[in-house]
Amino acid sequence: MVDDLVLRLEGICKEFPGVKALQDVDFDLRRGEVHMLVGENGAGKSTLIKILAGAHQLDTGRIVINGRPADIQNPAQALGLGVSVIYQEFNLVPFLSVAQNIFLGREPRHPKFPGLIDHARMNAESQALLESLGVDIDPWATVHYLGVAQQQMVEVAKALSVNAQIVVMDEPTSALTTREIEQLFAAIRRLTARGVGVIYISHRLEEVFQIGDRVTVLRDGKWITTMNVQDATMDVIIQAMVGRIIDRMFPRDFAIEKGEVALTVRNLHRHGVLQDINVTVRCGEIVGLAGLVGAGRTELARVIFGADPYDAGEVTIFGRTVRGSPAASVAVGVGFLPEDRKREGLALILPLRENVVVASLRRLFPSGVIKRAKEHTVVTDFVKSLDIATPSINRMTKFLSGGTQQKVVLAKWLCTQSRFLIFDEPTRGIDVGAKAEIHQLMNELVKQGAAILMISSELPEVLNMSDRIYVMHKGRITKELSREEATQEAILRHAMGVTT
Amino acid sequence: MSETLWRGWARRVAMAPGAVYALILLSLAFALFTAQFLTLHNLTNVGMQGSVLVIVSLGMTLIILSEGIDLSVGPVLGLAGVVLALAVKQQVPLPLAILAAIAVGTTFGALNGALISYLGLPPFVVTLGTFGVAQGCALILSKGSSIPELGPRVQYFYDGQIFGVRVPIILTAIVFLTVYLILYYTKFGTYIFAIGGNQQALTLAGVRTLRYKAGVYLLGGSLAATAALVMTARMNAAHPTVAVGLEFDAIVSVILGGTSFERGKGWLGGSIIGALAITVLRNGLTLVGMSSSWQVSTVGLVIILAIVADALRRI
Amino acid sequence: MSHMWFSSLARLATIVMLLVILSVLSPPFLSLQNLINVVRQASLLFLLASGLTVVILTSGIDLSIGSVLALSASIAATLIKQDWIWVGPLIGLLVGAGCGFLNGLMVALVGLPPFIATYGMLWIAEGFAVVFMKGEIIGGFPSSFRFLGAGHIVGIPVPILGMVVTLSACLFALRRTNFGRYVYMIGANREAARLSGINIRGNLLLVYSLSGFISAFAGLLFISRIGAVESTIGEPLLLPALAAVCIGGTSLFGGEGGIGGTVVGALILTLVTNGMNMLNVSSYWQSLLMGAIVVLSVAVDQLGSARVERT
Repeated sequence: MVDDLVLRLEGICKEFPGVKALQDVDFDLRRGEVHMLVGENGAGKSTLIKILAGAHQLDTGRIVINGRPADIQNPAQALGLGVSVIYQEFNLVPFLSVAQNIFLGREPRHPKFPGLIDHARMNAESQALLESLGVDIDPWATVHYLGVAQQQMVEVAKALSVNAQIVVMDEPTSALTTREIEQLFAAIRRLTARGVGVIYISHRLEEVFQIGDRVTVLRDGKWITTMNVQDATMDVIIQAMVGRIIDRMFPRDFAIEKGEVALTVRNLHRHGVLQDINVTVRCGEIVGLAGLVGAGRTELARVIFGADPYDAGEVTIFGRTVRGSPAASVAVGVGFLPEDRKREGLALILPLRENVVVASLRRLFPSGVIKRAKEHTVVTDFVKSLDIATPSINRMTKFLSGGTQQKVVLAKWLCTQSRFLIFDEPTRGIDVGAKAEIHQLMNELVKQGAAILMISSELPEVLNMSDRIYVMHKGRITKELSREEATQEAILRHAMGVTT
Repeated sequence: MSETLWRGWARRVAMAPGAVYALILLSLAFALFTAQFLTLHNLTNVGMQGSVLVIVSLGMTLIILSEGIDLSVGPVLGLAGVVLALAVKQQVPLPLAILAAIAVGTTFGALNGALISYLGLPPFVVTLGTFGVAQGCALILSKGSSIPELGPRVQYFYDGQIFGVRVPIILTAIVFLTVYLILYYTKFGTYIFAIGGNQQALTLAGVRTLRYKAGVYLLGGSLAATAALVMTARMNAAHPTVAVGLEFDAIVSVILGGTSFERGKGWLGGSIIGALAITVLRNGLTLVGMSSSWQVSTVGLVIILAIVADALRRI
Repeated sequence: MSHMWFSSLARLATIVMLLVILSVLSPPFLSLQNLINVVRQASLLFLLASGLTVVILTSGIDLSIGSVLALSASIAATLIKQDWIWVGPLIGLLVGAGCGFLNGLMVALVGLPPFIATYGMLWIAEGFAVVFMKGEIIGGFPSSFRFLGAGHIVGIPVPILGMVVTLSACLFALRRTNFGRYVYMIGANREAARLSGINIRGNLLLVYSLSGFISAFAGLLFISRIGAVESTIGEPLLLPALAAVCIGGTSLFGGEGGIGGTVVGALILTLVTNGMNMLNVSSYWQSLLMGAIVVLSVAVDQLGSARVERT
C-alpha cells in the first residue's frame, strides 16, 4: 500500500568523474520496517545513503518522503525532512554531555533567564529518550568517556529526539560485542514500534535474518533485487551480490616463472588491527589481497611498507628484515601506491615532473645536485612508456585526470627501480580504458621479474589479475585461494566470515 | 576498598593539568626561599597583579577551545588603554571613556573574527597581522609615549575597594562568572565546544557555525579591553606597548590549564590556575631579587619546559 | 602555471608603479644615493626573510628570527669588542644555528606545532639576549667589522653583495638540489613526502637550523651597518620579514613560491617604508601597514589559491 511508504527513491542516477556510481536505482521504505541494504564495496550503498542524507546531490531521479517530493540539497534540509543518518564515525562532540549532544542546535530555553539553556529540562528529556530505548546512560556523562556502544545509543537517541521518520544506520555493529548488538537490536525494535523506518547497511549477512524485514541487494551501482527476509536464504543473497557476468578483461599471462621470494611476513601482529598474519610474495607473481572495508588490508600494506609500526612478528623483503620507516623500505626496493592517491601519493600543486622523480633523487643525483637534462630525459621516457596523457612534463599534477595521476604514481615507483610493489586499489575511480592499460603495465612488470601485492575491492579485478589470493576478515587472513579455487562467491564468503 | 579509592585519586592527580603542578611547586618553592612570599600582603598583590592576565586568559580559553588562537590581545589591550587615557585627558566622562575603550577592543575582536571565520584565514597569521595594526594604532594615537596622571577616578579601578574587597578582584570575579555562564549555560558556549570538537556535527545540525566562531574573537577583544582598564588604573598611565608579551602568558596559562588545541576540551578553572602560576613565578622572582633581565629568560625557559613536559607526558 | 606568472608580473608592475608615484611625490627619491640606500635596506630585510622563506615553504613558520638575530648579534658583538674579530661572528653564527636546531627538535621530534615552538624560542632567545646585554648598548666596532655593513666592494655596498650571494645560494639550493625538492615536497604534501621515502625529521631539522643560521648572519650585517647593538633590535623585524615573504607570493600553506618572490617582496616593502620616510609619515604607521599587508596577502593567497582543498 502506498500509504505505508515513508520513503521512495525512484530512478536515482549518480555519476562521478569516470565512474557511474548509481544507475537507475529504486528503493522504498515502509513505516516501521527494518530494510537491509547489502552489496559489495563499491556497489553504491554509501552513495545512495549520502544522496538521501544531502551530502551528495543526485543527477536524475526522485526522492519522495511521505508522499511528497523532496528536494534535498544539504544535510540540514535532510534533517528537516526527518532523515537521520548514523554514520560509522559518529557525529558527536566529544567533550559535551550526552544531553548536549542529543539536543545540539535545539537547546531548550530557560523559562526564567532568557539566553540561558534549561539544563534541567534537557537532561530530563534526554533521560526519557534513553529509557525509551531501554538504555541506562547518564545524560550528564561526557560523550568522550563512553564506550562505542553507548555512543551509538546517543546517536539513536538523537535521531529519536528530532522525530526522525527515516533512520539510516551504516554498519552499526562493526565495533560491538554480542551483548551490545542485542541491546542495539532491542533499541531498533523500539524505534520501529513507533513507526520509524530504518535502513540498515551491513556486511554481516546473518544480521539480515536477525533484524531485517526486507532486504535489497545492489551490485555495481544497479538495483538487483528486493525480497522479504522470510523468503530469502544466505545463498540467494550472495548469488545476487556477485552474480555478474565478467566482461572480458585484460588477458593476464600466468605462465611466468616465479623467481626469488620478495616478501615474507611471519606471525605479524599489530594490537587491535592485525593478528597472526603470514604472507609470501614471489617475483613474477601478482598476489591479490581481498576483503571488505575495514578488514585490515590497507593496514597490512602500510605495516609492510613501514608507514605504520607493528608489535610482533617479522617482515622480510628480499631477505632483509625491515622495520621502521618508509625511507628504509624504499631503500630496500619497495614501492607503495596508496589508496588515496591525491592525499598520499602525489603533491598536487607540484608539477608532474617533480612527482615522478621525488622518490629517486638519491639514486639519480647522488651528488645532491639535479641535472635538468637528465631529469627531463628520465621523465619523458616514462611519459612515453606509460603513455601518460599530458601536454608537458611541467603540468601541475592537479590538472591531470584520475587515470593519468595513477600513472604518475606508478612512474614514481618505477623510477626508483623497486622490484616489489604494493598497489592499494590500483584502478579505483579510473575509466575502463585506463584500467586496462594499468593492468597491462602490471602484467609487464611481473614478466620482467617484479613482485606485486595488490589490494582490490573489485572482485573481477582480483580474480583476473591474481596468481594467488589472500582473503582478510577482521584483521586476520581467513583463507588463501589458488587461482583455480577462486570464485567471486568463495572470496566474498571468506571476506564476510561466512563459514557455512 | 580504600586501595581502589586511593588508585582513583592517584589517577586524577596524575591526570591533572600541568598548571596545577606548576602552581603548587612554584608556591612551595618560593614559600621556602623567601619569607615574604606567604604574607597576606604579598598574596593579595599576586591576586591583583594576576587579574589582568586572568581576564585575558579567560577570553583566550574560549578562543583556543574553538581551535583558534589570538596573538593580538597584547597590543589591543595597549590600544584600549591609550584610548581610555586620551578620552580621560579630554575630559570625557569616565563611563563614556570606558565604553570607548571596550568598543575598540570589540572592534578588533570583530575584525579578527570576520577574517578567521568568514574568510577562513589561519588564526595565527591573521592575529599576527592585527597585532601589528593595533600596535601601530596605539603608537600613532599616543605618539609613542605614555599618557600619565590619569587621576584618582581611574586609579579607583585598581586601588579602590568594595565591601573590603579590592576592585580588580571583584572585576575578575564578575568576568569569570560571566564567561562561566556563557560557556556552560548558553548556546554560544555549547557551540564553542562543538566547533573545537567536531565542527561538522554542528553544521550538520543546521547551526550557523561561522557566526559563533567569529563571536569568540569578539569576546576576546572585549575582555582584553576590560583588562586594559585594570592595567591602566594600576599604572595610573597608559602606555602603548605595555602589554607586549601578554598573549604569550595567556596562551601558556590556557594550555597548561588543560585546554587542548584540537579536541574541544577545556577547563576554565585551569586557565585561572595557569595564570596564577605565571603570576606567582614573576612575583616570586622579583621577591627573590632577580633582575628583570634575567626574569624574561627564566620565565620563558620555565614555560617552555612546562609545555614540553606536558606534551611529552601525553605521548 | 599561468596563475603564478600573472602574479609575478603584477608584483613587478607594483614596483614600477611605486617608483613612479614616489618620485613624483618627492623628487629626492630618485637620487642615486637614495636608491642605493633603498636597495641596501632591502638587502638586509631580504637576508632575514630568506631563511624564513625556506621554513614557510615546508608549511612551517619561524617566529623567532628577530630574537635569534638579536641574541646572536649581542654575543658576537660582545666578543668582537674584546678583539675576537673572527671568532666573535663565528660564535654568533653557531648560536643562531643552535637556536634553529632547537626549534627543529621541537617541531620535528616532539611534534609541537611550529608556531608554538618558535614562539617560545622567541621569548627564550630574547630573554637570554636581555640577560647577556644587561640592558646596555654596545657600539664602536672596529672598522674591519664595520666593513661588512658599511663598506663597499667595487663600489657596491657589501650588504647588497651579501644579498646577491645569498639569493644565488638559496635559488640554487631550492631549485637545483635534492634538498630543495624535499623542501617543496614536504610543504606541498607532507604525508605523500613521507610515503615517498623522504626523511621528514632530518630535513626539518636542517631547515630550521638554516633559518637560525641565516638570522644570525643577517644580524651580523645589520649591526655592522648601524654600528651598534642592544638586546631589543630584533623585536620590530619579524613582521616586515613575514610581510616580505607574503608579498613575494610564498604561500603560508607550503609548497608554493620561492626566494625570488621574497626579493621582490623585500623591495616593495622597503620602497614603501622609504617613501613614507621621505614624505615624513610617522614611523608608527609602518607597524600598522606591515600588519595590514600580512593580512591582505594571506587573504589574497587564500582566495586565489591553487590548492585542491582548504578547510
